[in-house]
Amino acid sequence: MPSLLILVPLIGLVALNLPNKDIMRKLAFWFALGLFITQILLAIQHHPVFWNYQLEKMDSFFRVNFSVDHLSFIMLLCIGIVSTASLLVARHTIHDEKERFKLINLLIIASIGMSGTVMTSDIFSMYIFLEITAIASFILIAFEKNIYALEGAFKYLMLSATATIMILTSIAILILAAGSTSFSDISQAVRSPGNNIVVVAIGLFLCGLMIKGGVVPFHAWVPDAYSAAPASVSVLLAGIVTKVAGIYTLIRTITAIFGLDGATRSALLMLGAISILVGAFAALGQKNMKRMLAYSSISQIGYIIIGFGTGTFLGIAGAVFHLFNHSMFKALLFVNASAVESRLGTMDMDKMGGLSAKMPVTGATSVIGMLSAAGIPPLSGFWSKLMIIVALWRSGDHAYSIIAILAGVVTLAYLLIMQRKAFFGKDNESVSEAGLGIKTASVMLAGVLVGIGISFPFIFNRFLAPLREIIHR
Amino acid sequence: MLNSNLLLCAVFVPTIGAFAIPFIGRFSGIARNAAAFILVFVPLAASALLAPAVLSGRPVTLSYTLPLGCDFTLTADALAVFMAIVSSFISFVIVLYSFGYIRKYSHLSEYYTMVVFFIGSMMGLVYSANLIFIYLFWEMTAIASWRLIGFFREKTFVLKADKAFLITVFGALLMLLGFILIYTETGSFDLSIIKSRLGPGALSNTVVLLILFGILSKSATLPFHTWLPDAGVAPSPVTALLHAAVLVKIGVYVYARLFVATFSIGAIWHTVVPALAAISALVSAGAALVETDIKRIIAYSTVSQIAFIFLGLAVGGEIGLAGALLYILMHGLAKGGLFLCAGIVEHGTHTKDITKMGGLFGVMPMTAVSFLFCAFSVMGVPPFGGFFSKYMVISGALSNNTWIAMTFLVGAFLTILYLFRLFNMVFMGEEGTQSAREGSRIMVFSVAILGALSLVAGICIQYPASFVETAVKQMLGF
Repeated sequence: MPSLLILVPLIGLVALNLPNKDIMRKLAFWFALGLFITQILLAIQHHPVFWNYQLEKMDSFFRVNFSVDHLSFIMLLCIGIVSTASLLVARHTIHDEKERFKLINLLIIASIGMSGTVMTSDIFSMYIFLEITAIASFILIAFEKNIYALEGAFKYLMLSATATIMILTSIAILILAAGSTSFSDISQAVRSPGNNIVVVAIGLFLCGLMIKGGVVPFHAWVPDAYSAAPASVSVLLAGIVTKVAGIYTLIRTITAIFGLDGATRSALLMLGAISILVGAFAALGQKNMKRMLAYSSISQIGYIIIGFGTGTFLGIAGAVFHLFNHSMFKALLFVNASAVESRLGTMDMDKMGGLSAKMPVTGATSVIGMLSAAGIPPLSGFWSKLMIIVALWRSGDHAYSIIAILAGVVTLAYLLIMQRKAFFGKDNESVSEAGLGIKTASVMLAGVLVGIGISFPFIFNRFLAPLREIIHR
Repeated sequence: MLNSNLLLCAVFVPTIGAFAIPFIGRFSGIARNAAAFILVFVPLAASALLAPAVLSGRPVTLSYTLPLGCDFTLTADALAVFMAIVSSFISFVIVLYSFGYIRKYSHLSEYYTMVVFFIGSMMGLVYSANLIFIYLFWEMTAIASWRLIGFFREKTFVLKADKAFLITVFGALLMLLGFILIYTETGSFDLSIIKSRLGPGALSNTVVLLILFGILSKSATLPFHTWLPDAGVAPSPVTALLHAAVLVKIGVYVYARLFVATFSIGAIWHTVVPALAAISALVSAGAALVETDIKRIIAYSTVSQIAFIFLGLAVGGEIGLAGALLYILMHGLAKGGLFLCAGIVEHGTHTKDITKMGGLFGVMPMTAVSFLFCAFSVMGVPPFGGFFSKYMVISGALSNNTWIAMTFLVGAFLTILYLFRLFNMVFMGEEGTQSAREGSRIMVFSVAILGALSLVAGICIQYPASFVETAVKQMLGF
């Protein structure tokens, strides 16, 4: 029944937009919240009755092959949590009810797109869902319709369109080679040697995904888009959209279709290491909080790529785990940024200072998010980085391992700058704590980070150990 | 069963309980202080109750198997219990002192949360027998120390807190890399498993070097010592807690745990580490002679005294080891006392500059006497406790390398010089420019305890010595 995760929101969306909007506007928030929480519960529970039971009529109506494995569960969980956070932030940062209603609609569309992306096992459907997500994201970034928002959205649109062309071209070539669009058929076709055009197609495809994921050298749009978007959208965008659109798809297509050969492997390691360093050092120099967080995202995505590049179970599990953790702590830090923005009206860190005195929840959770991002135990980010670094060392990439480990100091350095300038300093008595929704979102995300950090062994056994299946297929 | 519960209590009651403090603090300040008091008393009591079993040669161990070789193992042997009792006792006195010292400032809930959290993490570090958990608790202490150094929230103070955090994390990450190297070789982080898989051979020099980075940065030894004097911007009880008595001993303890009690290391390190320590001792003693900030002088003195502990551990041999462990106790008591006295002086005169002080003996006689007692112990004047430990460390070194032992004698001499200089400028001579007053009753009481104990520990040296003897025997595997 996984198709219900697409169908129910879709029907709901239509129903919400029927005439008689006044009631619907009030309902929209609760409907979306219900959807996201159901998705979280289903993804944690992974109950076979829901996930394996086939609804013949409905599934054939879609003509999409949904196949859900443990990687999809983790991603669905991630999507659910971050969307919930984004929704809660939207409720308290956008005061005009009409505008909020529009935003919630777009949020649901984006989440349909993302859920579809992570559940399908067909390269063309994956592309369709990617585009659904991307289009919703353009509008979301441009939501405030001012010059910066339009600039950010335009940059994203242009780069994303380039990526789309690359992906679509490559899909066309792959269909020619394989005669089908399902992962397994293409996989067989591309692994038969001596077909150079297929190699080009794979290259195009992966570059397209890296643009969407914001991996260096395709990262230029990231800081603009993240800092231009309204608060709740940057939570969604930084937290999950780029991860699903760029990184998940990369992991999925490489493991399920293209395979990780020597050349791809060294390219991934190299790009990952460059991303880590470029992102981290660029973040050091930022004055705008959201831009700093955006560069930090680039750097953390580098960790995911480099971990995945090892090609071993430990590395891939570490990468997926870091993807999850990164979603959580980056969403948390963006939620905190939006709390600050809602109270101060600026993102310039030089104008902040001592905020944690009057914003204790925001201040405390930002410390948790920061320590987790820097990979300080016992928070969740530590364990995923540890797995990645151990995997790198074991696979013999000692230099990359040392880069990954020492970049932790730079990460900590720029996050400490953020703490020092914004939260930890002479008390600022003139602000007040953010609204209830933002606080709830921060506490929820911080709870996830701490909870996973201290119950890592159980998380490992339940969610990460089964990831072996995606490598040995 | 009872003993393993005690072990769990010692570690988890403070680490988890710490986070109840802000909530209690919302309702009542007294309840919060009481909670902090109890949460610090629990690890002390639990560790003390573990002592009889451990001393009779029955180490307490409990272990949960977890994936990836990250088994959660706690072991209480004589070394661990000794370290736990010393650090939790000193922390306990420091918390008592805090009730008087910190009263008038804001953010008290954060203060007590972080202090208790620190002590819990320290207990976790001391009892862990798994590299990954040693690292985990190690960084938890760093988090607490970061918040506490920046407690007063001035811009430069927070900057110094960040500096301390970054330097120790840099060292710790290299140490983690060392741990990972061990892990790739043996497939486990568990010390006993690693020991059995690694066999009797020495650890590779790369691993030792990487781990030393962590140890030296945490224990503020040259060339990673600069954060410690800077960290003096913290409230005085914090400097006493973190930077004199407890936190800087973490590096030393991990050295003892890994390189003495568990693995064997190459012969070269028995020369390199004492040589590094010797340089560290001299340089920092020189710095202490010229500084004019009371807390920076004591902080440099800590750097210099830590070097003596490293010397004792690195030269090996029963006498050196026993001396080093005793040194941890004596230095903790005395240096904690000195910092707390400095706190009283600072509160009384509203300055940290010793050139503006003088003649305080008449105003605060109890503090002055306690200060003198602690200073005598640090100098190593008999019959104070510090004498025995210093004597044992240097005599242990003499049998190993005469030159290094001589250097340390010079270091010991410099210690006497700068401490007398400090005492003269603060307590003797003419009245300073500032009007001063004695500290509150509980503060004076706390420093008096530490001063008195510095003397008592020397007079009744046989009790700590016999404890240490057992610890050394267990470490060397007799």
